[in-house]
Amino acid sequence: MIEREAVIVGAGPAGMAAAIALCEAGMEPTVIDENPRVGGQIYRRPPAPQRRGEPDAADAPSQRGIELHRRFNGHRDRIELLAETPVWGLFPPGIVATGGDGGSRLISARQCLLATGAGEYVPPFPGWTLPGVMTPGGAQSMVKSMSVLPGRRAVVAGSGPFLLVVAAQLHDAGVEVAAVVEAARRRDLLRHGAGLLASMPMLREGRRCMRRLRRAGIPLLWGHVVVEAAGAPELSRVVIAPCDAQARPDRRRARSLEADTLCIGYGFVPRTELAQMAGCRMSYAEALGGWIPEVDEHLATSVPGIRVAGDGGGVAGALVAQLEGMLAGLAMARRAGRLDEGAWSARRRPVARQLAALRRFRSALDSIYRVRPGLVDLPGKDTLVCRCEELTRGEVEAGIANGGTDVRTLKVITRLGMGPCQGRMCWPAAARLIASRTGRSMSRVGPASVRPPIHGLCLGDLCPGPAEGDGEPAAVGAARQKGPT
Amino acid sequence: MGSGQESSRQLPQGAGRADQHRCGPAAERGRQVRFRFDGRAIAGCEGESIAAALAASGHRILRYTGRRGEPRGVFCNMGICFDCLVEIDGRPNQRACRSPVVEGIEVTTQQGVGRKDGA
Repeated sequence: MIEREAVIVGAGPAGMAAAIALCEAGMEPTVIDENPRVGGQIYRRPPAPQRRGEPDAADAPSQRGIELHRRFNGHRDRIELLAETPVWGLFPPGIVATGGDGGSRLISARQCLLATGAGEYVPPFPGWTLPGVMTPGGAQSMVKSMSVLPGRRAVVAGSGPFLLVVAAQLHDAGVEVAAVVEAARRRDLLRHGAGLLASMPMLREGRRCMRRLRRAGIPLLWGHVVVEAAGAPELSRVVIAPCDAQARPDRRRARSLEADTLCIGYGFVPRTELAQMAGCRMSYAEALGGWIPEVDEHLATSVPGIRVAGDGGGVAGALVAQLEGMLAGLAMARRAGRLDEGAWSARRRPVARQLAALRRFRSALDSIYRVRPGLVDLPGKDTLVCRCEELTRGEVEAGIANGGTDVRTLKVITRLGMGPCQGRMCWPAAARLIASRTGRSMSRVGPASVRPPIHGLCLGDLCPGPAEGDGEPAAVGAARQKGPT
Repeated sequence: MGSGQESSRQLPQGAGRADQHRCGPAAERGRQVRFRFDGRAIAGCEGESIAAALAASGHRILRYTGRRGEPRGVFCNMGICFDCLVEIDGRPNQRACRSPVVEGIEVTTQQGVGRKDGA
């Protein structure tokens, strides 16, 4: 088994910041990411063979990304980077199981940071499985990282400030954006406006984004939801309707927008599979996107040696992720005896202060863009809830009526979540459906169960290869020329 | 992946359709990579995913589901949802969004769980 002092899973803003902090303390972290390049979803760069310039440096998030990449690259010789390496399991006491083209490896980590990020939340609605319907993040990465337009005319819908960013990027790339459809109402913005003042730079970024949309003539429809995506065999029409505070649509006032692309997401769900598998104590935090591992002020979970930073510990955005990553990195260096108390607390204090201000800002955003209960009634009886196993709302409700009153039992009764996505796309919606039909709380409905492997894995990858034993994980990268297998 | 030193000056004739779905200067794209999708020639760019190359050439249906026979395409584009499954050189259940284009591969629309005689 390979042994490492500090292992970071995920090379988004949290993982990169943690790696930088560890390097600055003289350590040599191992960073594992399933993507070919570091940056995570938000600071993702074009694939290596494509030589596009830096993104628009005038835009503050891009600037932060550029700076983070620069600092990470500055320490590149101290970082053992395992790219294109998915982690499929985490076993006590800190054994990280990796896959990928190089085969399966076990890395025993003295300290481990999970910086696994978040996935988008798309509650089901009629037509949401049609080709042409995708997540805003998916459309963004197609444009930003691949320079490919997901379609010609798009509706961007759901809830959250991310929609504004994606709409502006699609527009700049040449997609005609028909409208941004936002479930929150303008008055929610006013009601929680005071909290937004806690972070003037973030507030300015938001206003800048809204100005860009206005200049581009893209209507921003507050208090509207998408009630249906239609077309055959691909998306051609998006039906929207105004909604009330619970996001219940007024269908009599529904209207159609022509579009070949619908980018829809209602915020994010933390990716916590590894924390769950490690046995970290979890709790349900609706405002932070769902089930999250409980952490102390040093981001340590209930399992010794395992910390969590960034959206994977509760959705709060890239800037918070970066600051948390830094805190986690400092705490790991201190624990390893590479940072004395004085240096540690001097470096930690300003970061903690920034985080406190951002949390006030975030909690205002969380109130404005909360997941509204009316979304649970958007799917019709025949609308699929589980995309993989093709289970309709009617079938899922029958399962609930037959005793599937928590996610795990519902899974056994209906097969919900037993397809290749392992429930990642459907359990948050299924859990809310259970809660709404039974009156139980989300914490009682429970999280989905997690078992290894959390990614598809070929049986052949589990067979010991010739390099098993003391093989250097760096060799994994070298064995990666054969393309898709 | 190779170095992608050459610019893609020579995108094929007939790739006009593909170019309408691309943005940014052609010179910054990776070298051209040719592959086939259901027998049709597709011009992708080195470094991009099969999902992106197919989207760029206007192909959005990547598979048909097993139970209801419904078309599916790219949904999350980050490897989580497994909706963009295609067959690559006869191997079923490959995520188009995570698989890079490679010269000469045969990509096919997947039916259900894929061909049993694959792999």
